Amino acid sequence: MQDLIDRLLNIFHVVETQNHGSLMLVFMIGILFGGIIQYSRVDKFEKIAGFAMLKDTIVPKMLFLAIGIASIGLYFMIKAGYAHYHVKPIILGGLIVGGTLFGISMAILGKCPGTGPISIAEGRIDVLVGAIGGLLGGLVFDIKYDFFKKIIGENIGKTTITDLFKGHEDLTILIFGIALIAISILIPKLEEFDEADLAQLEEDIKDIQNAKLA
Amino acid sequence: MRRLPWWAGGILMAMLLLGTFSIFGANRPLGASTYVPYFAGVLFDLDPQKYEYLKKIENPGAWEGVMLLGALFGGFITSVFITKSFRISLIPTAWKKYKNNSVTSRLLWSFFAGFFMIIGARMAGGCTSGHFLSGMSQGAISSMIFGAVVIISLVITGRIFYKTGDK
Repeated sequence: MQDLIDRLLNIFHVVETQNHGSLMLVFMIGILFGGIIQYSRVDKFEKIAGFAMLKDTIVPKMLFLAIGIASIGLYFMIKAGYAHYHVKPIILGGLIVGGTLFGISMAILGKCPGTGPISIAEGRIDVLVGAIGGLLGGLVFDIKYDFFKKIIGENIGKTTITDLFKGHEDLTILIFGIALIAISILIPKLEEFDEADLAQLEEDIKDIQNAKLA
Repeated sequence: MRRLPWWAGGILMAMLLLGTFSIFGANRPLGASTYVPYFAGVLFDLDPQKYEYLKKIENPGAWEGVMLLGALFGGFITSVFITKSFRISLIPTAWKKYKNNSVTSRLLWSFFAGFFMIIGARMAGGCTSGHFLSGMSQGAISSMIFGAVVIISLVITGRIFYKTGDK
């Protein structure tokens, strides 16, 4: 038991010594992350599984808007020296097999690894059971990494969209960002509600009533 | 207001992402799936010297672990005081509507979905946060491939797994 406590406390030590923000800052980033997701209600099963059923589009609208704005902002921040690239490699086996497993699981669980803990924080026991499953999945991955490495395949580079249009980097990223923002606005707004929450959402009730009248 | 509109949530998420990336912030991307195998290693006392993958993810795993601890706290406070959505529940409303009323069925499916979700995310090298949010914001081709594969398999599964037809 004492061992386990030591190992848990060591997590804080690892964070403090790696130069990616103080412990307090990392914790604050987490609070904001949890607060924004919770306050937008995109951690809900109705929003994520609802998107899988094409009955709710709040998640893609919010995601595409966020990456549209962030891609333009980040590009110019990096250019000015205020941030760096941290691009993940193209590993075809991993992306395709892993992405497929991830998509299937996300439709069934109705959460992803970031929204899951936020759902647990609002009292969802089914997601806690999912997290136990996830922890065992992580354990299997740790132990059988050699096996998974074979499926993941070779790293074939960390290409970004600006590498594909050399000489027109600024324009490329502007078009990319604006296109993503346009997509987020153009995706029709569909909503699947959780009746247990509706009493809290007076404005949404009006929306539903208007939709029924129309 | 009990809920942020999607556009406000999107703008705030973009700001948080830029702040995290910035050299005045954490100088790294946001990610939320590396902490799971890392935490499994801590919990089951696996020696990072013996397991190649654990050695690789020690730094990002711990970082994300603390970040997600913050997310748990932030999510809890928001659900109790702002959205008032905190309640203990076993089956989501839409699961009852489109799948079934069985607690056993929901918990079993959740368990296996959680299991394969983490394996999938770690094979691809990221999840919704690391690939979709952070990766696509850098214009990364790897993240666009991931995003496309996930959306396709998500929607196909939604079609097959749930009874969505008009009833």
